[in-house]
Amino acid sequence: MAHEHEHAEHHSAIPYVVVWIVLLIFTALTYITGTQHIGKWALPVALAIATAKSALVAIIFMHLRESSGATRLVFVTALVFVGLLLTFTLGDVATRFSLSTPAGAPFGTERSQPEGLLEHEMPAE
Amino acid sequence: MSHEESATPGFEGVPPELIGHHFDGIARQNEAMRLGMWLFLATEVLLFAGLFCAYSVYRFEFPVAFEECSRHLNIPLGTLNTVVLITSSFTVALAIHFARTDKRKASAICLVITLLFALGFLGIKAIEYTQHFHEHALPGKYYSSEEVKAPGAAMFYTLYFLMTGLHGVHVVAGMSVLSYILWRTLQGRYSSTYYTGVELGGLYWHLVDLVWIFLYPLLYLI
Amino acid sequence: MRLSEADSQRLAGAAAPRAPSYLVDGTTVMSWLNTRDHKRIGVMFLVAVLFFFLLGGIFALALRMKLLQPGPFLIDALSYNRLFTLHGIVMIFLFLIPSIPSAFGNFLMPLMLGARDVAFPRLNLASFYIFLAGAALAIWGMVHGGADTGWTFYTPYSSTTPTQVFPILLGVFILGFSSILTGLNFIVTVHTMRAPGLGWMRMPLFVWSIYATSIIQVLATPVLGITVLVVAVERVAGFGLFDPARGGDPVLFQHMFWFYSHPAVYIMILPAMGVISETVAAYSRKNAFGYKAIAMSSIGIAFVGFFTWGHHMFVAGQSTFDSGAFGILSMFVGIFTAVKVFNWVGTMYRGAIAFRTPMAYVCGFLYFIVFGGMTGIALATTSLDIHWHDTYFVVAHFHFIMVGAAVMAFLAGLHYWFPKMFGRTYHEGFGLVAAALIILGFNATFIPQFLLGNEGMPRRYYQYPEHFQALNVASTTGATLLGFGFLIILIYLVVALRWGKPCAANPWGSKGFEWMTDSPPSTHNFEEIPTITQMPHDYRTHEPPGVIRVA
Repeated sequence: MAHEHEHAEHHSAIPYVVVWIVLLIFTALTYITGTQHIGKWALPVALAIATAKSALVAIIFMHLRESSGATRLVFVTALVFVGLLLTFTLGDVATRFSLSTPAGAPFGTERSQPEGLLEHEMPAE
Repeated sequence: MSHEESATPGFEGVPPELIGHHFDGIARQNEAMRLGMWLFLATEVLLFAGLFCAYSVYRFEFPVAFEECSRHLNIPLGTLNTVVLITSSFTVALAIHFARTDKRKASAICLVITLLFALGFLGIKAIEYTQHFHEHALPGKYYSSEEVKAPGAAMFYTLYFLMTGLHGVHVVAGMSVLSYILWRTLQGRYSSTYYTGVELGGLYWHLVDLVWIFLYPLLYLI
Repeated sequence: MRLSEADSQRLAGAAAPRAPSYLVDGTTVMSWLNTRDHKRIGVMFLVAVLFFFLLGGIFALALRMKLLQPGPFLIDALSYNRLFTLHGIVMIFLFLIPSIPSAFGNFLMPLMLGARDVAFPRLNLASFYIFLAGAALAIWGMVHGGADTGWTFYTPYSSTTPTQVFPILLGVFILGFSSILTGLNFIVTVHTMRAPGLGWMRMPLFVWSIYATSIIQVLATPVLGITVLVVAVERVAGFGLFDPARGGDPVLFQHMFWFYSHPAVYIMILPAMGVISETVAAYSRKNAFGYKAIAMSSIGIAFVGFFTWGHHMFVAGQSTFDSGAFGILSMFVGIFTAVKVFNWVGTMYRGAIAFRTPMAYVCGFLYFIVFGGMTGIALATTSLDIHWHDTYFVVAHFHFIMVGAAVMAFLAGLHYWFPKMFGRTYHEGFGLVAAALIILGFNATFIPQFLLGNEGMPRRYYQYPEHFQALNVASTTGATLLGFGFLIILIYLVVALRWGKPCAANPWGSKGFEWMTDSPPSTHNFEEIPTITQMPHDYRTHEPPGVIRVA
């Protein structure tokens, strides 16, 4: 690439330091929100923070900002296909009829039992 | 530091054994290697995606067990490991920066620090694994912990060990890559005109960090 | 296209000194085993996949022989189960997936792009050896007990059966690496190694299809890798990830498995479509009709192919919502395929068709892909699939596409590029006879299977009711014809390798870019990198020979 030599001269380490500090702050944030048990928002919040952190790593540390279009496309495509795998698989599990024998239970168990401990889940020894 | 440079047109300043003669210049060669590395990283992302998919399905099926189990993991150690890995990612970024600005010694020092952090990460992980073994918090049929008895606890540990195990394998692979890069740096193979090797090794290490950034909240926090 | 002075002179038959061809540039065994030359690696892949095709074919014939009788016959039930597993694994992982991309793709893509080699020649050789290692491990497992799971390794049976599933799973995992590395190499090659003037919209259609295939190889194969790895771990350690007795979900295995394995059928068929796009233009002496539509539909199939995997699981306990969505999405593949078929026929229309052997296979291909594709649309309909699921109807549909279409294209390519690869010609008469025999034998094998499946004969069963026997005998007769056809090809091609008439650089007068250089090409492909000034297969121009010249 033609811009490589320019970078050698003007390249500064300050962005890396800033990103590192921001990543540490995000880690503290996700630790705090994660240990406060904020109910149904815990998962979206944690995932949002993780996404922000990984975006910073990808864009600044991994130089996606200055990469060619092809490399960006590769990364984005990979993420799209991860999303695809998760969407349809979870879509299946979420819309399935509920089994009369709950997952993990021996044959003959009925769903009448309350949530929580099923007999077979008792440790064997 | 011996450092013979070539005068092949298009490849000025590149050590001769690193030239791909089927390319028309070093710029094209670098672009090819970078793209190749990113494609490889994409395959790594999809490799982990399989396990993330399994995680999502079982988390959906056993929400109670997953929540309880994640509280029984050693959250302080997990958080410490996150800090360790993020910092190692930072030092690798610095190593690339120094390689590209011709500061060979600083680059080597950063790589050494990264490797030490990586060892630290594995050490902390080993402490955690030891605790799980003592609690019999093990995958599948080996699970007999008294801590969590909700159905699906064994499945949580199956996924925990598979995911952190696969990640651990990548940490070890990343360490080998970085050691090789360190050796080449000490030999004086990289400079501001050619630092692709450091850059690609660094990319791999950042990916190891990226995966952990998602594993940490999913396994420890929620 | 503009060629350097030296190249044009050589192609015009002038007495310019000729660089030695890649075949004779180094004749020791090591010069082959340690080569970085994409052409030699392609030829080695070709030899390997042909060997595995022979092996898989022998397994298939053994199965058909057993099915002559409804009761026990020739082989026992366990051997039968092992044989159909081996037939599937060998044909899919060792033949179909590497066949066209790794053999022809390696040989031709750099030639078509006007490049000296692929982007990463060493990685290319590594891919070949990883392929051999994976194949060796899988075959070791087959010899030492084999597996009886079918090539799909469905859990929980695959994690409990006492047969040797473990080495075969590891073999498949390693083969996946080979496939990924080849795909990665090709994508980078297309992005960075195109000759001056060769824009994206001038790339030969074969390159477009290989590029689309490579995208699937890179994105889907890792998911198969982790899936078989987890099953292998389950066998050894019993983690229970897919074990319903431990809360596991076998349908999750099927999701992860088909996320790779459905797109994998496009890994098999897309390169075949690329071969057809090249040959149909070369033998119709017309530029490809609807070039952009064919190119873009390749990318379209690669993309939409990822949205269809659930149609393998309509009766597996998948939710009706997912089944409906996957059923509808599956039909989109039909649209892209139909676009291609329309354009191929459009290419032939008013062309000056030369009915040589490859063109015979092209015609066979068009027929098989239309019928195989139409039955596929029917199978994607959820209500119909409940009747046909796991019957011979599915077997026949799958073989129409995978043998009917993909193998026809493989044979078309093999004949079309045989002079390019070896500089010799085969016997045209035998070629046409074998093509007729194969197309006939293929129909005789699989049309009865459609009927059997519709009547309800399940696949993979060792025994069957007596009233199915007549159709089974018909099918076995067809398979025998098919076997003879392949035998004839094997014989006349081996004869042609040794005694075939040496041919000119471009015996077909084709205007595909791979014919820009000698046949067989020299090690570095071109004296000088050519500059591309026109579309591939542009037969409208009356540019003086140089490239297009019949000896």
